[in-house]
Amino acid sequence: MANAPLIETEQLTKRFGDKLAVDQVSFSVYAGEIFGFLGPNGAGKTTTIKMIAGLLKPTSGTVKVAGFDVQAEPLKAKAANGFVPDNPNLYPKLSGRELLRFVGDLYSVPSAQIERRSEELLRLFDLAGAADDPIDSYSHGMQQKTALAAALVHDPRVLVLDEPTVGLDPKSARLIKDILRQLAERGATVFLSTHILEIAERMCDRIGIISQGRLIAIGTMGELRSASTGQDSLEDIFLSLTGGTEYAEIAEVLK
Amino acid sequence: MSTAQVWVAPALWASVGKLLRLRLRIWWSGIKRASKRRKVGLAIFALLILAGLGLLIFLSWSLLRFIQSPQLAEMVGDQGAFIDSLPVLLVGGAFLGILLTSFGVLLQALYLANDMDFLLAAPIPIRAVFIAKLLQAILPNLALISLFSIPILVGLGLARGYNLLYYVLIGVVILALALAAAGLGGLLVMGVVRIFPARRVAEVLGFVGAISSFICSQSGQFARFEDVPPDQAVQVMNNFSRFTSPWSPLSWPGQALVSLGNNQWLAGFGYLVLTLGICAAFFYSSLVVAEKLYYSGWANMQNNRRKKKAAASARPVQANSVRAILTRLLPQPVRAIMLKDFYMLRRDLRNMSQLITPLIFGIVYAFMILRGDDPMPSPDVDTPVWIAEAMRNLPLYINVALAMFVSWMLVSRLAGMGFSQEGKSYWMLKAAPLSTAQLLGTKFLVAFLPSLALGWIYLLIISMLQPAGLSQLWFTLPVVALTTAANTGVNLAFGVAGANMTWEDPRRMTTGLNGCLAALLTMLLLPFCMLLFFGPAILIAMLGVSPILGQLVGLLVGGLACAAAAILPPWLVRKRVPSLDEPAA
Repeated sequence: MANAPLIETEQLTKRFGDKLAVDQVSFSVYAGEIFGFLGPNGAGKTTTIKMIAGLLKPTSGTVKVAGFDVQAEPLKAKAANGFVPDNPNLYPKLSGRELLRFVGDLYSVPSAQIERRSEELLRLFDLAGAADDPIDSYSHGMQQKTALAAALVHDPRVLVLDEPTVGLDPKSARLIKDILRQLAERGATVFLSTHILEIAERMCDRIGIISQGRLIAIGTMGELRSASTGQDSLEDIFLSLTGGTEYAEIAEVLK
Repeated sequence: MSTAQVWVAPALWASVGKLLRLRLRIWWSGIKRASKRRKVGLAIFALLILAGLGLLIFLSWSLLRFIQSPQLAEMVGDQGAFIDSLPVLLVGGAFLGILLTSFGVLLQALYLANDMDFLLAAPIPIRAVFIAKLLQAILPNLALISLFSIPILVGLGLARGYNLLYYVLIGVVILALALAAAGLGGLLVMGVVRIFPARRVAEVLGFVGAISSFICSQSGQFARFEDVPPDQAVQVMNNFSRFTSPWSPLSWPGQALVSLGNNQWLAGFGYLVLTLGICAAFFYSSLVVAEKLYYSGWANMQNNRRKKKAAASARPVQANSVRAILTRLLPQPVRAIMLKDFYMLRRDLRNMSQLITPLIFGIVYAFMILRGDDPMPSPDVDTPVWIAEAMRNLPLYINVALAMFVSWMLVSRLAGMGFSQEGKSYWMLKAAPLSTAQLLGTKFLVAFLPSLALGWIYLLIISMLQPAGLSQLWFTLPVVALTTAANTGVNLAFGVAGANMTWEDPRRMTTGLNGCLAALLTMLLLPFCMLLFFGPAILIAMLGVSPILGQLVGLLVGGLACAAAAILPPWLVRKRVPSLDEPAA
């Protein structure tokens, strides 16, 4: 890629006591790219994502977002970043509209722009009817959409999403896919983790697979196919790399 | 499938036992995994309870022996009727106590615990789930209330010489009443939640509970027990016997105990059968209603439709007016967090109960001062000038101390919990481009400004009601502001050190060693600050210099100390702020 990376990790490591959650992970994600981050449960996806978003301090290694080291220049890195966690714990007593305004203010977006973008995003995510209701009255899907809208209020150059389509109906999931594609086309970087391999296969320009804290594969679908012998679908590649093929045998036993 | 053909539905009580064992295992697992310090604390607590039980039995027995003594009888007459009414009052009170406390616990267990779907989908009788839930809800309250009531009832029995059946039936009656209270509580919960959202009911309950308990704890300040003449006290004691009316179902359990204890078998068994019958009816009907509501999907349905539009149109006006003031004064992210915090505090009634407490406290003590039971001492002619000066300023010191105390109560809640109240939503602040200084500064302002406003308003009102109060405001207002700032700094630092982001109920934020330490330290800080502010004025008066100069020196010395207390503690914990809400490395 000719352009500069907007997300860059270098030997990124996170240890919790004796457990090595992320082990020397290095990769770069470039502007205009949608990067899918896959891995089995407990592989270290969320830990990596939290370090990129500045929520967790790495044990060693570095993360750069939009060229800024998240540890050395956290404010600049965070200002460029939009983050949606896997479980959107939003302020339950704020309304959707108030939350978007709050996030816009946190990122120092001009007031008029906050108003305009909030209304656009509420309409886009089909939240306008419930915009003045408290968030604790929202369904999980509505909260997920509100979190996404909040991450987009300041028009980030980098968008980091942890399982963004969990709990969403097909229409909303499709909407999010379209929005992410549009963002990438406008030059933003989208980094998302997902368990839905179909989404990763169709949407992502490049895919990284993490297992037991180590990045075990990275590349485009074509590169992953050519690296794995005889595997064609992402599901087969994923299972052969992460050791999931034995589950087929278990399924046979249960028949 | 062959397994489906041989599967036999489990028996009701076996399933109840299984569910209760599961709960017990969860509880025991929590204790086993607790820190050594917590385990030692629990062991000491258990020993203290046992000691308390013994003491209660002894005290009630001794007290009742005294009440029955011939010497007292000569003075106030025979108190037999009063003593016989005590079991009725106690048992009735225990029922009401369990009913009131079980309402909140049942609301949590039936609607907010999030395990009902899982339990109802399991292959166990639905009734077993509800019996287990009801028992689980009442057991802690039953244990607590039994701890207080059973020793007193035993002491009463010993003092009155009731027969053995009385002691046997104490446990039976209290257990039956607890089941009835749980049943009635369950019916009430299900009825209320049909109208209002469960979470809102929990908030209102928390608010009402906290306010009532605080008002009850302070109501003694209004009463003048020392003024009650002995004959009125005797009259009050005699009135207790009116509670033993045969027409009041609340008195039946107690009357059953007393009658059986006094060998009045017919009346005793009559009351006992009535009591047990009503208890069984309440418990059974609550089980049936619960089963039907949950099975038909009506348990969570609400009849009301909220007026969303009206509420929505009312909000922005107020928000805009507050925002307009803040916009001119503070950076955008800072005012965003402040506004958010004020909304969150205002909209969760459980928070409001903690915020209103200082107001009630202030009103109670202002009332006591203005009632003026004890006039301030006035100096004699030969009193030294500096002592006379101090005595003249005594109302001023009291005013300032009260205003400081009122704002301290509010600041300890707002600053101590400033970070903890973010809870699981803290990731939003952490992911945003905010510096540690901005976050600490904002949380400082969120706690300081309302506490300062409360302290100043309180001081202004109380000063207006006293002759010389207003002329000293140039001195007293800064004193209150500076001590509030000092308290904010100390509480904020302890709040950062002991932040708990995993709470579900705002009242859980206040538990922990750091909260206690902050309260203790700031309680010591208040008199220390007063000494620094008022000490120089008194000392300079000894030298015969103008007291105004002394007050200025006091403002300088106290102000410097308060500024240090406001800034240094948050500065010491600043490195912890970015790592809050992170698992231990």
